Amino acid sequence: MIPFLPLGFSAPLVLLGLLSLPALWWLLRLIPPRPRTIFFPPTRLLFDIAPKEETPSRTPWWLTLLRLTLAALVIFAAAGPLWNPPVATSTGRTPLLILLDDGFPAASTWETRLRTADDVMARAEADGRGIALMPLSEPVRDISMQPASAARVRAQQLKPKPHAVERAEALPTITRFLRASPDAEIVWLSDGVDLGKSKDFVAGLAEAAQGRRVAIVDGGLTPPRALAGAENKAGALTVKVLRGADAGGISGIVRALDLKGLPLGDAPFTFSGSNRETDAELTLPVEIRNDVARLEIAGERSAGAVALLDKRWRRRSVGVITGATADTAQPLLASTYYLGRALGPFADVRMADRTSPSVAVGQFIDQRVPMMILADVGNVAGDARERLARWIDEGGVLVRFAGPRLAASDDDLVPVKLRRGGRTLGGSLSWDQPQALTTFAADSPFGGMAVPNDVTVSRQVLAEPDATLTERTWATLADGTPLVTAQRRGKGTLVLFHVTADTRWSDLPLSGAFVEMLKRVVSIAGTSSVESDVKAGEARETVAPARVLDGFGAFVPPTATARPVPAGFSERANADHPPGFYGPPEGLLAVNTLLPADRLTALDTSALTATREGYRVSEPQDLRGPILMAAMLLLLLDALIVFWLAGGIRRLMRRQRPAVAALALLALGAALMPCPQAFAQADDFAQKATLQTRLGYIITGDAEVDNISRAGLTGLNLFLAQRTALESGEPVGLDPSRDELAFFPLIYWPIVPGAAVPSQQTLQKIDTYMKQGGTVLFDTRDAVETLPGGGTNTRSSGMVALRNILASLDIPELEPLPRDHVLTKTFYLLKDFPGRFNSGQLWVEALPANDNEDEARPARGGDGVSSILITSNDLAGAWAMRPDGQPMLPLVAAEPRQREFAFRAGVNIVIYTLTGNYKADQVHVPALLERLGQ
Amino acid sequence: MMAADKRILREERAAVAHASGAALSLAATLPRLLLDARRVAATVIHGVHGRRRAGPGESFWQYRRFVSGEPAGKVDWRRSARDDNLYVREQEWEAAHTIWIWPDRSRSMVFSSPNLPHSKLDRALVISFALAQVLVEGGERVGVPGLVRPSGSRNVMDKMAQSMAHDPAERTSLPTSFAPAPHSEVVVLSDLWSPLSEVKQLLTQLSSNGTHGHIVQIVDPAEETFPYSGRVEFVEPEGAGTITAGRAENWKADYEARIARHRAEIRAETDKLGWSFIIHRTDRPASELLLALHAHMGAPRDTGSGRAA
Repeated sequence: MIPFLPLGFSAPLVLLGLLSLPALWWLLRLIPPRPRTIFFPPTRLLFDIAPKEETPSRTPWWLTLLRLTLAALVIFAAAGPLWNPPVATSTGRTPLLILLDDGFPAASTWETRLRTADDVMARAEADGRGIALMPLSEPVRDISMQPASAARVRAQQLKPKPHAVERAEALPTITRFLRASPDAEIVWLSDGVDLGKSKDFVAGLAEAAQGRRVAIVDGGLTPPRALAGAENKAGALTVKVLRGADAGGISGIVRALDLKGLPLGDAPFTFSGSNRETDAELTLPVEIRNDVARLEIAGERSAGAVALLDKRWRRRSVGVITGATADTAQPLLASTYYLGRALGPFADVRMADRTSPSVAVGQFIDQRVPMMILADVGNVAGDARERLARWIDEGGVLVRFAGPRLAASDDDLVPVKLRRGGRTLGGSLSWDQPQALTTFAADSPFGGMAVPNDVTVSRQVLAEPDATLTERTWATLADGTPLVTAQRRGKGTLVLFHVTADTRWSDLPLSGAFVEMLKRVVSIAGTSSVESDVKAGEARETVAPARVLDGFGAFVPPTATARPVPAGFSERANADHPPGFYGPPEGLLAVNTLLPADRLTALDTSALTATREGYRVSEPQDLRGPILMAAMLLLLLDALIVFWLAGGIRRLMRRQRPAVAALALLALGAALMPCPQAFAQADDFAQKATLQTRLGYIITGDAEVDNISRAGLTGLNLFLAQRTALESGEPVGLDPSRDELAFFPLIYWPIVPGAAVPSQQTLQKIDTYMKQGGTVLFDTRDAVETLPGGGTNTRSSGMVALRNILASLDIPELEPLPRDHVLTKTFYLLKDFPGRFNSGQLWVEALPANDNEDEARPARGGDGVSSILITSNDLAGAWAMRPDGQPMLPLVAAEPRQREFAFRAGVNIVIYTLTGNYKADQVHVPALLERLGQ
Repeated sequence: MMAADKRILREERAAVAHASGAALSLAATLPRLLLDARRVAATVIHGVHGRRRAGPGESFWQYRRFVSGEPAGKVDWRRSARDDNLYVREQEWEAAHTIWIWPDRSRSMVFSSPNLPHSKLDRALVISFALAQVLVEGGERVGVPGLVRPSGSRNVMDKMAQSMAHDPAERTSLPTSFAPAPHSEVVVLSDLWSPLSEVKQLLTQLSSNGTHGHIVQIVDPAEETFPYSGRVEFVEPEGAGTITAGRAENWKADYEARIARHRAEIRAETDKLGWSFIIHRTDRPASELLLALHAHMGAPRDTGSGRAA
């Protein structure tokens, strides 16, 4: 077994063979490689040439290295390497004492520990040895020798304990057992964590185990991690993350959950270097922080990785004392009411009722509240005043609100020197208007708050201006007088609001800013870690367990052995008091596995002479096969290299050169060609489609129809070039599933009856095209088949095919082309849109209903261009030209002018798609000209 | 060795098949080759060869007046009956010449540099066939020592190809135990890498009857430039042994000097006999060698000393 590497050898002596490698190296260097053989006709002439003095060309160093590696691998394989070799115990027939650490540090890797234990026991079973299994958490239970099979069953039923285990307690039992069975061998499956008196245990064990074989199994696993000392600090909820070793488990996440187990937030943590503790900081709003009942390390299944929080961690207690006695007459207008409502969401407000301020102050200081509010208390008299000053020095936060009493008194427990008497603004005798709040001092706790514009102050107490006034000011009114001043005294802070806590002097208590300001003041107050309102008499009161943690850190109903804890219980959890929540639901008391001061220190077993091994993460693996395989591969490689050095490859290449070259080229081509080609094709297509305006048509797959579409659009192009300013390029056949459609203003889509409906993706593409302003001209080419007077409800095969296609498209409402549609006027004035047939209707997107005032307009355009046009007149058939300029197909009607009209229809449609409703706007030209005074 | 032999036979057959096609097209590019008349003036006639003058022969040449003193039997009575004079019918003087062509088909000839399409064997056969074709068209008789008897028929090339394809004998570098008839002509196409003694012996043997001849050394470019480096074991393809060069690049200069000496020695021998010695590299076109041979064979004998082609 090599330390720190789970690698062992079944025949380690064979490794001595590695010593022969230098000799082999010397030999390999001497023997030159086999020469290339060449049939050379004039060889006989070479006989006459005197042989040169030649140093034989040496074997290249890398080849030597390769061969040495090969030899080393073979020797290595012969030594029988094992990955994860089983824990080495002697193979005697003596009994085996297995000590199992089953405290919370073992929980997260419990299965692996049990597997190692089982492995040891399985081999003991094979050797016919008796086993005494001793979980160290059960010190009082006597150790009994068992057959290995029974011990294995028992081990499977063991569960880790949720609390720290004091190993030393088990020492007497172990000593007794060892005395009874003097030949027993000891295997200690340790968790490597020392939580106190482990030194005694190690020393005791060393004494008891003198002269025996001892094996300590430790390490090789991710170290246990634990949480301790959660603290609800000013800005965040912090918790110490501990780990049981100097390495491993470097980073993770601490998750905060509420009582119902819902996650509230995450905080990452990282151990730097070999530190064994780090901090995780949960920055959550105070209200949410107060709901946190449980912190746990995500993914760590251990009771130690859970920290339970109860009321003590939640809110800061704020004592509120008012100087007014008549407040209770109108409780909803009293300053205590405003303060209670404002503080309620994030602090525990305690009212001093019906006592004088001095008495109340004394009580609150006894209760060790971190913050006190004096609302318009003029003077704290006597003894309480001294205590209050001392309390501030020790870290208390005192917030005072002004009022008639404070203004009238002469108290120096204020941050700044005050003028006697208040100032009234905006009153009938005052020159000034009520002042608004304007600034928060940037370096104060209020820094960064938005300045509310709904706060006006009509009365205040004024500070004597002096040098320190500005730096003590946290908030200022528009005229520069302070609204809030503060001063640090000792470790504490003294804050003065220069207005009352009710609405008599200002709107401040009604404003949202009031809550925010108080929240920030509260957050500078320290946390009260120990609630001291537990009176001495109540200390004996006990609370029963409500929910406890099992060893894996999950809540379970209280076990039978769990006993109630005193109400003020603040010790480490133990076997009698497992970690968990105790007491009634409204006043839960959390008992944690670890105390805030606990640290996971490493177990020092140096006093014990023992073999030390790591846990086995996986089954032992025989490495002979893979290593021999690697050696074979190297041998093959070596053979190939020798073959190559001797020119074999070249000979092979010569014979099959053309074929090999062709193959290589083909492979290369196959690998390289398609991508650039595909890109080039797409680029070509885009260039071709955009360098000129082009009309597109859908390739239906019916060659005849596609020919006619193409010829038709070509004919229309010609006509357009002759009659209009548009000289469009060659029409482009499109496969909507493959080609980009966005380049084309108009796509002609002849419907072939029975054609397959395009795929969903294709339809989406078409839909996108239409939505983005393209126009599709569907032509069912079957007007001649429809019955005369069949109306709009035609059932012709083309219509059915078209409906199949359109069924999955998002089609707007359609209507037969109205007479005043702009399409009839975009270039020619048209009444209908004939093609080869003239009985079909042209359908367009329905225009918005005609407003009465526009009745007189000759053309209506709607907004934008109709994205869909449907006809059945076979327009392309009428446009189609043979290369000699003669029409391709005959028209149905005998009237020769119909072809001309069909072309005009085409022109109107194309110009419509290109110019939109421009012609509809043209009707305004006379009116515009008239307005210009022409 | 059996497998190697079979492979060489297979390659030879392929070369023969290829060469008979290539030779035809090559031969078609050359004019008929008429050997120097002087050389054959007194030859024992093995074949016919029109000499553009009256003499013994089969075909009519001219009628001439009977000169008294001639044997009366010479008079052509049929012609003489047409007028008062007596005429003698003269035939064209016909003489034929025998040329032996020896293409070396030994194993060493199969060698070719990796980047060349033709081996030396290819080239030797192409030249042999083309030369045979040209000569036959010129009226000469062509044979291959030990393989094809001299013949003047137009299909001599096919005949040569056929008999080579079915030749059971061992392929030797140089024609052994062969002595041409006097006044015939010999063309030896070989790489001539045999030791000088063998070459010398061959020349003595061939020229014993006063035969004229041409020695052509066909070499591969690799055999001249020696483009090898590193540790190389050179094997003589005909089983004459191997030699290993540790750093072949160091041997280049010595090798080139050795080649030059070998050639100089051969050339000395041929010059002594008045034969021509031509060196041909397979990366040069075949027609170049054929033209050179054409020139050498058509030229008067005195100028027939070797020029490299």
